Amino acid sequence: MNFPRAASRALSTSGVPIAIALVLVVVIFQIISPVFLTPGSVRDYINNAIPILLLTVGVAIVIVAGGIDLSVGTVAGLSAGTTMWALVSGAPTWTAVLVGVATGLVFGLFNGLMITVFGINDFIVTLATLNIAGGLLIVLTEQVPLQGVTTPGFSDLVYGNFLGVPTGFWIAAVIFALMQFFLIRTVFGRRIFAIGIAPGAANVAGVNVNRVRLGTFVLSGLLAGAAGVLLASRLGAVQAFLGNGYEFIAIAGAVLGGVSLAGGRGSVWAAVAGGLMLATLQQGLRLNGVDPVYFSIVTGLCIVAGVVFDRRIQQLALGSFRKRAKGGPTPPAPVKLQETHLLGTGKQD
Amino acid sequence: MTERPALGADGLLLNVDGISKHYEGVTALDDVGLQVRPAEIHALLGGNGAGKSTLINILSGLTLPDGGTITLSGHQLDLRRASDALGHGINTIHQELSLVPALTTLDNIFLGREVNARFLGMNVKLDRRRMEERVRALAAEFGLSQEDLKLPVGEFGALKKRVVEIVKALAFDTRLLILDEPTSGLEEEERLNLFEHMRRLREKGVSLIWVTHHLEELYGLADSATVFRDGRRVGTVNVSDTTVDDLLGMMFGIAAGEFGSTSSAPALAEVEVESREEVLRLTDVNRSYVLRDISLTVRQGEILGIAGLAGAGRTELARAIMGIDKISSGTVHWNGNPVKFSGSSAAYRKGLAMLPEDRKQLGILPELSVSENISISSLDRVSRLGFVLKSRDEVSQAESYRQRLGIKTADVREKIRNLSGGNQQKAIVARCLNTNPDLLIFDEPTQGIDVSAKVEVHNLIREFVANGGAAIVIASEIGELVELSHRVVIMKKGRLVGSVDNVPHALVSGQFEAVKNRILAMSAGRTES
Amino acid sequence: METTSSQKNQTIVDRVVTRLLVDPTLGVLALLVLICLLAAFTLPVFLNGSNLYNLVNNSLVVMILAMGMTVVLVSGGIDLSIGTTMALCAGVTAAAMNFGLPLFAALLAALAMGALVGLGNGLLITRLGLPDFIATLAMLGFASGVLYIWTKGVPIIGYMVPEFYIVGGLTPLAGPLTLPMVIALLVALVLGGILGFTRLGTHFFAVGSSKTGAMQSGVRVERVRMQAYIVSGLAAAVAGIIMAGRNTNVPADLGNGYEIQAIAAAVIGGAALSGGRGRILGAILGAITLAAAVNLINLVGVPSSYQKIVIGGILVAAVLANRISAVVSGKVRQRKAMVLEGIPA
Repeated sequence: MNFPRAASRALSTSGVPIAIALVLVVVIFQIISPVFLTPGSVRDYINNAIPILLLTVGVAIVIVAGGIDLSVGTVAGLSAGTTMWALVSGAPTWTAVLVGVATGLVFGLFNGLMITVFGINDFIVTLATLNIAGGLLIVLTEQVPLQGVTTPGFSDLVYGNFLGVPTGFWIAAVIFALMQFFLIRTVFGRRIFAIGIAPGAANVAGVNVNRVRLGTFVLSGLLAGAAGVLLASRLGAVQAFLGNGYEFIAIAGAVLGGVSLAGGRGSVWAAVAGGLMLATLQQGLRLNGVDPVYFSIVTGLCIVAGVVFDRRIQQLALGSFRKRAKGGPTPPAPVKLQETHLLGTGKQD
Repeated sequence: MTERPALGADGLLLNVDGISKHYEGVTALDDVGLQVRPAEIHALLGGNGAGKSTLINILSGLTLPDGGTITLSGHQLDLRRASDALGHGINTIHQELSLVPALTTLDNIFLGREVNARFLGMNVKLDRRRMEERVRALAAEFGLSQEDLKLPVGEFGALKKRVVEIVKALAFDTRLLILDEPTSGLEEEERLNLFEHMRRLREKGVSLIWVTHHLEELYGLADSATVFRDGRRVGTVNVSDTTVDDLLGMMFGIAAGEFGSTSSAPALAEVEVESREEVLRLTDVNRSYVLRDISLTVRQGEILGIAGLAGAGRTELARAIMGIDKISSGTVHWNGNPVKFSGSSAAYRKGLAMLPEDRKQLGILPELSVSENISISSLDRVSRLGFVLKSRDEVSQAESYRQRLGIKTADVREKIRNLSGGNQQKAIVARCLNTNPDLLIFDEPTQGIDVSAKVEVHNLIREFVANGGAAIVIASEIGELVELSHRVVIMKKGRLVGSVDNVPHALVSGQFEAVKNRILAMSAGRTES
Repeated sequence: METTSSQKNQTIVDRVVTRLLVDPTLGVLALLVLICLLAAFTLPVFLNGSNLYNLVNNSLVVMILAMGMTVVLVSGGIDLSIGTTMALCAGVTAAAMNFGLPLFAALLAALAMGALVGLGNGLLITRLGLPDFIATLAMLGFASGVLYIWTKGVPIIGYMVPEFYIVGGLTPLAGPLTLPMVIALLVALVLGGILGFTRLGTHFFAVGSSKTGAMQSGVRVERVRMQAYIVSGLAAAVAGIIMAGRNTNVPADLGNGYEIQAIAAAVIGGAALSGGRGRILGAILGAITLAAAVNLINLVGVPSSYQKIVIGGILVAAVLANRISAVVSGKVRQRKAMVLEGIPA
């Protein structure tokens, strides 16, 4: 009697199911192709995944707050572009890093302000900024060749070595840990959950909904900026379409990790695990000679799978509680999405 | 309808038997029944949270019951969606308007039951002319002109919307008409008009299920009444054999005479509030279209009750005070200083707090634990440097409230959605108290919670003001307001239309009914304002 | 009545501005006239007959997509997959022709594909409960993946029979009239007719405006939402057929960026993202306005690489204007209601 309850509780803890699934997938791939877990291969594919993992975390935080950010991919691309541009113009590494992160910050602020001040749908605003950032990168690459940089220390951001582990890993790990701490252990993080669960109720309870929402978009912008810097450092050259479609992978990763699109549920570790799952699938497909274009289909399916799984878990958790439910049809609890967005935030006149 | 409805062997039109419904661990309906005879007006009564709305939703196909049977004229029904109920001739006027703002009145009336004409050999084109012809006379009876039929419903005010809703329900052949508080917000004339229609429908052989809170309305109109309390059926009576007090007794589970005397009114009467410090003063506060020239004061140690019908602007006033909705003109003085709250967070910082009316939507944060729900408004009390949360403090804080307020939960780390309504409400009260407020606004503090929890919440409010706080209580149940408040002000159509001072004193001298009736009269606007 | 007198005191300018803000179709018309006037004074080339003709001709694909998008927006959804669906349907048409099917069969295949994608979107949203933009985003990824795998990244060519030049509008039908113009007109009549004069159209508005209200009135909300996505899938298929003819080859990225243009055109035309508001005429004017703006910017000499930025900016501006219009019309509506009930403002 006690076991299913405990199991359902564990499974409904965000991040646990995806971690189990990740281990399973790794084991399966290792059995299929034994080269899967060689240190070099693991390092490479994780290294490649880090920028998108950063985007995944940013998007996850926005989603936990009940929003969505479609612009992260192209903003990361543009940030990589502005970083390179700064370097090409002769700036030292730290200035270039600042330029890249600032680019992300500007877009995050713009998104957040449009959404909170004017009350426009987040996915439309970020769809527009997706295009604007993508367009700006095209223009930038036409103006300046974004490659051939030899500024000392820049490629060490990713390829450097500290205690036998690439510096990119360290940077990412520190950011993830900070974000997890921020989301789970701080006052602001608690408010993010509150507005994601019920913005109207959070507002009545004295949470400044607009300020918290703005904060999540700024954070997501900053993380996109950081991802751009790491992208530039790893690639050494920036193409016009860098970052296109990354938002898709980031959202899929977050959803797969159990970050609920309805808002209010998820964690940074869960999002990272979801992102790693996608990266692992991609690597597994590659090692087994599958055409990389299948990955876009896999990503689409992963979003659907993530959402469906999330709902199952919810029902499971509810079901184990509802001890006295008798037979007969029980409709699934209606999952409220988006609709409560503008409720009671005081911005309608 | 040409033929008389066939009836079941039991001679009933509708027989509801053994219906139960549970929501996330909360029991909304527990094995209830309802028997409606043909051609009768059957009143369905009960306090808030008694389960009337759930039953109505089940009968109109919007909610699936967990178990039980519904039999109409001897045929068992399987109502899976609204169109099933409508198809069986069960029409419902919902309390929450089921109108679509973007569509015209005419399209709204015929929504889901459109009349088509032939066009290009296909029967696809809407025949708006025929539709209009069919309802014109009925619409005119309720004061809807031909132009009104062509206007989008979104352009109407609440009152006119309700009229459209009534026309929509009356426009079609019906065997069973369900009316969920159809008269709320209606003027006397429309009210009488509607009653006349209800009588005529009964003469035509239609049965009506009628939910109302205005018990006086029942007499001379309703045939029988079924009373619900806390999701159970208390009983069914002939209306002509009962008095309002009998029905009240059934609804609230106390003998009629006890109503006024259960309160601790004498204790309140001792308080002399005139000399106390003024906490809040509103002067000519307006909010476009919602609030009009509101002036009032609240003093330390005082409970100010706000009475009024639904839609009178009580919740809107509370929201405006809290800075959730903007005030368009007028001044607010807080502890003697003029203030302007930019939002609820500013109000909380100054020492206001609010317990909202709609607990499910605006009160609890269902996915958070009880302890997290308690601390959300005062996170600085459980954090280091105002930033890093101390979860151990958070839990022990919640634990102390659990013992003090008697919140029934095995663990304060349990998600709040798994608690019963009354315990959720106590947790929200704890949340408000934890901000250590000078003024606490309770909007319908006892809605949908059981009687014992009600009494406990009342005691919490009294204790709060006894310790020097000030409170505003908004409640629809006037008896509750009279028991609790030192002073009651009455709202109607966004204005303050009257006040009753020194309520405890009146109670001591046994004038409970008189005070209640005075408030009732002023809310309904039957006397000059 | 103090309100009636205050209403009389409103200046004509006030009323005109309010009217333009409240009625989005009038607003976009005014905007279009403004662009033309602006152009007439600064760039006479703009008002050149052939430029205008090309402008309208080029806007047809976006116009058809925007009409489909309008139906989805009216019903309270959004379709981010519309551009990719268009490309997929163009590919189906081309491949079917190459396979040797007759023209009408190829067109039917494309329409079937469009309906199928729409059905898929609808199922993801109503059965699995995905939010609209996530479901259609997943569909976008899925469909573009399918297209890439299928074409192996090489554009489909070799299907251009002479009739296809007519379908694509490269060969005019009669005089200056091209087939895509006729098709766009037909799509407009059909969709406009559905929205304005049929039960289905009423249900689209009902579901988009108030799901609860529609459900309580017996409308099958989920089925209606599904039908809206099928309509937009079909519109994408029609646009895809034209696109296949006009582009003379079908690369896998044919539809990239079209979803945002379709949304922008629909929103310029007054469709509300919150549902329950939108007009086919608005979508048509919106598509022309968008094309005019882009055309004007090209004429001024801004390189075409700026186009993405411009369209993104226009979308932001359009949504902003739409939002203001909604607030203003809400206020006007409230004022009317209060006057009707005799409550002075």
